[in-house]
Amino acid sequence: MEKLFQINNKDFNKVSTTVLYTSSYNYLDDAKEFIHHNIVVITKDQNANINNIPEYLLKSFNCLELLNKPNLTRIDNLKITILDNLNNKSDVYVFLNVLTYLDNEFKKRVINYLKEQNKIIINYTEDIEEALLLNYIIVIHDNKIIMEGYKEDILKEEKILKKLGFNLPFIVELSNGLKYYGLVNKLYYDNESLVSDLWN
Amino acid sequence: MQIIPKLEKSNIYGLMGNIDINTNNNNYFIIDDYKFKDTAQEYLNNPKAIAALKMVLLNEDCLTKKVNELSLSEIKRIILAKTLLSNKEYLIFNYFEKDLTNKEKEEFKRLFKRLATDYNKTILIFTNDITFIWEIASYLIYVEENSINIYNKNDFNILNYITKPNIIEFIDLMHTKGLDIAYYKNPADLLKAIYRLKEKK
Repeated sequence: MEKLFQINNKDFNKVSTTVLYTSSYNYLDDAKEFIHHNIVVITKDQNANINNIPEYLLKSFNCLELLNKPNLTRIDNLKITILDNLNNKSDVYVFLNVLTYLDNEFKKRVINYLKEQNKIIINYTEDIEEALLLNYIIVIHDNKIIMEGYKEDILKEEKILKKLGFNLPFIVELSNGLKYYGLVNKLYYDNESLVSDLWN
Repeated sequence: MQIIPKLEKSNIYGLMGNIDINTNNNNYFIIDDYKFKDTAQEYLNNPKAIAALKMVLLNEDCLTKKVNELSLSEIKRIILAKTLLSNKEYLIFNYFEKDLTNKEKEEFKRLFKRLATDYNKTILIFTNDITFIWEIASYLIYVEENSINIYNKNDFNILNYITKPNIIEFIDLMHTKGLDIAYYKNPADLLKAIYRLKEKK
């Protein structure tokens, strides 16, 4: 895989990556390193100007109402920050534990939008469900990389994930149980495929 | 400004909605800043600090530590200890579950239950993740700019207004296929229900 850069002894390659961390890890240390590279880094408490965002973008993310909303909440401001950065020329976007505050629909739209633009996404999260959004996972505990690889391989390591305090994503856990009962013969990573195969 | 309706004491409430939390009521303690200056001892600044730390499953070793020497889970426990020492009746936790693993979330849920039952605290947990509060909250409060609605914890109607958890999205998908299955909160219960459904067919 083509290497993008190294951040605090972690190699980031040219593949969209989830950085799954436990609470012993301070991801802000990585944030200090990211600024040396020409990438977009999005954190929770940044400010952005909604007037910079093209109306078509607000419309496609169902955020037009924010233009005239008198009291914007923290979540509204987070959405504005993300949208304000979406047309940046940088090839890499880093989200530092922000997607977890957003509704699933907005989250998926952001990811899909960036994927369509061929951007590389690096998402720092403690939410195992977000591990399904991108192809590659790096698991960090106590400042050490515990394992990394493509999500299908990492999500098979149930014992290691549980020892670190993570559950499996809901759909993986469910398909694990269904596999045990002989109702399916593999793991699934999205609802539609599992429902379709169960009741074909 | 929203006014939280009179709440039954010693209960846990889930609080959801696209709002910012603030209050002028001195009986409420809002916990939404998960850092502190100086050492834990200086932050807690109370002769009962060790007892409070014990309550949140920490020992006195962490008293001499600063924020950058503690894990996020330890920081949140220390902040929880501070709320106990505050003697406020109502505690509001703002997105408390972020940055915690599932195992840590379960530990904190047990702590919240103890705070409510053993220490008579009334707890409001503000979150966008209903699965964090489903098991422990007696009621779910959904707040919009001009309305407050209260739901019993087993009332699934609140799901029309919030981000649906994955298990509900899955069950909704099954419904679109014409499959007759109830709503479940627990994946293990859903698994059994799917097994029974398949057996029937």
